[in-house]
Amino acid sequence: MREVYVAGIGITTFTRLEFPLAEIAAYASMAAMKDSGIDRFDHLYVANMGSARINNQSALASAVVDTLSQTPAGAERIENGPASGASAIKQGFMAVASGMHDVVMVTGAERMREVNNLEATNFVATLTHPLAEYVYGVTLPSHAAMFTKLYMERYGVTERHLAMVGVKNQNNATMNEWAHLQQPITMDGIMDSPEAFTNNPYVSEPLRFFDCCPVSDGGASVLLTTKEIAQSTGRPLVRITGIGQATDTLAVFEREDPTDLLAVRRSARLAYDMAGIEPSDVDVAELHDAFTILEIAESEEAGFFPKGEGHLALERGETEIGGKLPINPSGGLKGKGHPVGATGVAQAHEIVTQLRGEAGERQVADARIGFTCNFGGFGNNVISMTYRREE
Amino acid sequence: MREINAYRCRRCGTLHYPFRMVCKECKENDFFEFDPVPLPRTGRIVTWTRIYNLPAEFEVPTLGVAVVELDNGLRMLGQIDIADPQIGMEVVGSVQVVRRDAYESRYGMVFRAA
Repeated sequence: MREVYVAGIGITTFTRLEFPLAEIAAYASMAAMKDSGIDRFDHLYVANMGSARINNQSALASAVVDTLSQTPAGAERIENGPASGASAIKQGFMAVASGMHDVVMVTGAERMREVNNLEATNFVATLTHPLAEYVYGVTLPSHAAMFTKLYMERYGVTERHLAMVGVKNQNNATMNEWAHLQQPITMDGIMDSPEAFTNNPYVSEPLRFFDCCPVSDGGASVLLTTKEIAQSTGRPLVRITGIGQATDTLAVFEREDPTDLLAVRRSARLAYDMAGIEPSDVDVAELHDAFTILEIAESEEAGFFPKGEGHLALERGETEIGGKLPINPSGGLKGKGHPVGATGVAQAHEIVTQLRGEAGERQVADARIGFTCNFGGFGNNVISMTYRREE
Repeated sequence: MREINAYRCRRCGTLHYPFRMVCKECKENDFFEFDPVPLPRTGRIVTWTRIYNLPAEFEVPTLGVAVVELDNGLRMLGQIDIADPQIGMEVVGSVQVVRRDAYESRYGMVFRAA
């Protein structure tokens, strides 16, 4: 198997974008080509969850490859729910590692603001079990809320801990020019002041507005290639060292222990084993905090903290930039935004930026090994990855 | 009376809900080798939430949903019509319309306090 490097990265602002979806994808891809100095690729993978449903456009990859004037390169759309981004990177990795292609563009893009918030939430809810979950009106926030209630009961996590994740990530986002949310928030404003619960109403008890990621448009790209080609670009060398994927039951209630995110634990272990590292080797992590509780739970399942103690590490400030293990310096999904198909690629974008030492104000000092967790469904399809900076 | 069914594997007897094509336990792989068994109506709440950002076709401001552990040990998700739900609360379910869209009414379990 050949080693696979990230030669270029590109991203759009995550916000409401008044451009067609294919152009959002193309913009991020062009930025990655500019970043690497490579102006052609052999194959394109487009990660996207909703084009056929919310943007009325199927076969999105054909539109993107042509918009980029890269025909006759091969192109496919990869749909794997909110884990589409990491799935597409995995496909790109396999294409380069196998020797089938030398230069592969992986682009995630989503344009969710074409519909209103309720329709966007309903669209994401279509990933749940059609007969045993979706029919009842279950949404992703409600899955996370029911999970949170159990976590509170069992481990002593409180609404304050959730808010602390929200404050940390949204304030990290203010240091990220691409992030959706650019307003700093305080514990006073969302928890303590008399206006707090007007500012921060319930979305699904006990989760509040500032516990949930925004609905965003956006695109992100990574250009994957061989060591020789990556070296020729003169850009810092970042290698994808490990990829792990695991699935779990579609209906969340069917899992033996409903507070167990088994697929996160298994996918992370597979990634660490492939890379030959342990969780303690990781310098910076981007976790899938679509809801604040998920950052806490994933930080445990990925092996950074013991089960039930993620919120204690958070209290101690260990997950802040400058802490022992900075989590979501980009702002995470919570602050940066969550254009579902783009998210997994955007996580890779941030890790590569950090490992290159190009993150500016939000730079994690001496970051050499990075970790991402892209959480599909409600933990039913999860992909973890590890990255390493090389000289 | 409308029922919601669990499915019992004919080879090893394992009960499944929701329906699946291959038995989780014995990986029974013949087609349609499951017997439908109506789900019990009573159980207790494992976890619950009240949803405030419902899909537009729900013409109510909020909706309660819960995971319930049924008396035979299977769990299911249902709507709840309970003013003050608590984890561990005993509930009893009935099959009702849980969702309506332009063309059809969909049935599911709605739980009340026992």
